[in-house]
Amino acid sequence: MTTVLKAGEVDLGTTIMAVEFAGGVVVAADSRTTTGAYIANRVTDKLTKVHDRIYCCRSGSAADTQAVADIVHYYLQLYSVQHDEAPTTRVAASLFQELCYKNKDNLSAGIIVAGWDAQHGGQVYGIPLGGSLHRQPFAIGGSGSTYIYGYCDSAYRENMSRDECVEFAKNAVALAMARDGSSGGVIRLAVITEGGVERLFVAGSDLPRK
Amino acid sequence: MVGKNCVAIASDKRLGMQAMTISTEFPKVFPATERTYYGLAGLATDVQTMSELLRFKVNMYKMREERTIQPKTFAHMLSSTLYERRFGPYFTEPVVAGLDDKNRPFICAMDLIGCINFAKDFVVCGTASPNLYGMCESLWEPDLEPEDLFETISQALISAVDRDALSGWGAVVHVITPERVVTRTLKTRQAVCLC
Amino acid sequence: MSSKLAGGFSFDNHVRNAALQQKGLTLPKAVKTGTTIAGVIFKDGIVLGADTRATEGPIVADKNCEKIHYLAPNMYCCGAGTAADTEFTTALIASQLELHRLTTGRESRAVTAMTMLKQMLFKYQGHIGAALVLGGYDCTGPQLFTIYPHGSTDKLPYVTMGSGSLAAMAVFEAGWKRDMERQEAIDLVRAAIESGIFNDLGSGSNVDICVIEKGKHEMLRNYARPNERGQKERSYRFARGTTDVLQTSVRSLVTVVEGDQMDTSS
Repeated sequence: MTTVLKAGEVDLGTTIMAVEFAGGVVVAADSRTTTGAYIANRVTDKLTKVHDRIYCCRSGSAADTQAVADIVHYYLQLYSVQHDEAPTTRVAASLFQELCYKNKDNLSAGIIVAGWDAQHGGQVYGIPLGGSLHRQPFAIGGSGSTYIYGYCDSAYRENMSRDECVEFAKNAVALAMARDGSSGGVIRLAVITEGGVERLFVAGSDLPRK
Repeated sequence: MVGKNCVAIASDKRLGMQAMTISTEFPKVFPATERTYYGLAGLATDVQTMSELLRFKVNMYKMREERTIQPKTFAHMLSSTLYERRFGPYFTEPVVAGLDDKNRPFICAMDLIGCINFAKDFVVCGTASPNLYGMCESLWEPDLEPEDLFETISQALISAVDRDALSGWGAVVHVITPERVVTRTLKTRQAVCLC
Repeated sequence: MSSKLAGGFSFDNHVRNAALQQKGLTLPKAVKTGTTIAGVIFKDGIVLGADTRATEGPIVADKNCEKIHYLAPNMYCCGAGTAADTEFTTALIASQLELHRLTTGRESRAVTAMTMLKQMLFKYQGHIGAALVLGGYDCTGPQLFTIYPHGSTDKLPYVTMGSGSLAAMAVFEAGWKRDMERQEAIDLVRAAIESGIFNDLGSGSNVDICVIEKGKHEMLRNYARPNERGQKERSYRFARGTTDVLQTSVRSLVTVVEGDQMDTSS
């Protein structure tokens, strides 16, 4: 499998995560985009809206993940018009998986899809490099995620409250940013529930200190 | 090179395969119209292919538009022709020199994929281009009369070519003025260094 | 010769060129713009800036080239990377935008141009080496984007690109403020580009500036010329007859003056 970045390509050396909680999901990401050693964007938004209550977290090549997200965004808009109802998170995740699997030789994209729908409530799907699809209670991804597997496994609890969940995501991403050179900047979060999407922001100077 | 109401275009005449000289009478400067000339530096096969292709295109333009092509238009046509082959280029670097319908001087150079370099003073191309840049940068001055422009461009070319092992074996200079085009063959060093 | 009617690139010479290269032919280098380009959003518009040096390896190919390209009357685009690619991609998108305006009857939006550019560059997987800074003023206000050769985009209030981007970004990080005045923004962009010109070897010569505001734009070509060449102190003019001429041929040209139009009234 060739999922190596092309020379000079813009990389989202990243920490991304998504967590299910009682009433929905929380998605979180750092904000660093790099080209080699240079930070091309220090306030990137790696949380991309693909439908009203479905977001994706992007890691890997910036160009590849933006292109994939744009295509899925288009399909979901079409879906909601043709079916006259909002797509489920699973539909969105399947579209992502289809694109990532069929083009796996040409893409370097690790994507987490999370959202809320009336049928299943909050759901999180992970689509790692090869294009497989995994339903998970929480998912982490990007270069920074390797540093926080242990923390996440020990700190995650089922059916957390909204605030507990936000706190958990914030801490996990902050820990990864502290250890991973390719992750950094600010923390961007989104809380997706039946009521809608609430965007949160933690400035680089207000990161949780441990 | 641009002069006062005139332009000049010059090239050497050697055709070589690396160090081996094949021909010493290889034309590299071609007329596009009466008042527009262009030179092609690079791979000989492509120089000939391009010149034939351009002859075709210029004639087609003349028949379709019922007027002769302006040097600027010609340059853009050449540039688009090269860029169409962006991923399989012709190995030629063109130089265009001419007078437009108002007899204003026009010169430009291109890289092999058609990026135009419009200049008000001089442009250079080919294996001797580093040498030529140096020569032209010091010899050129604005508003040279046709006769003086000939001396300047010739001396710049001769000096540059003498320090380029891959160029030489005579040179041709065309000076284009509103009234006439004067083509002169120069006497240059006629040997390859004994290296 | 290929006799195609369809547009697009021709790969006719590709196999031949690969074979030639394998045999050891060194191909001529394409002109690159080792560049400093930058843009900022100010209170009521966009300021774009660029240096004016084009390079061919270590040689300065053009000392005063134009790197701020037209996209639409309300949109301009700075280009860095392979010079021909920036020139032709922007020209192509400019033409598509013009047609788009004629069909929709609306002013072009910056996101439209940005999406067209990113989709084209992504399609070519980075082989079209165009790194762009896109600035425009549309119905959603001032817009500023960067577009990388592989097709990724960023939306930021102040951006830099090219080999001099680090030098220029340092100036922006130190001096950028929210909601600047027009002149303040021009001065900041000028300082950023000059920092690229002086500290980056790939950038040089003059500063071009383009200001885009609601319903108008202003192109300030060679806004600053910090590298003006001094007067030559001596002339190297040769006496007429210096050069040995073997052969002379003269082709006299006739200037045709259009006469009065033929009378076709009767």
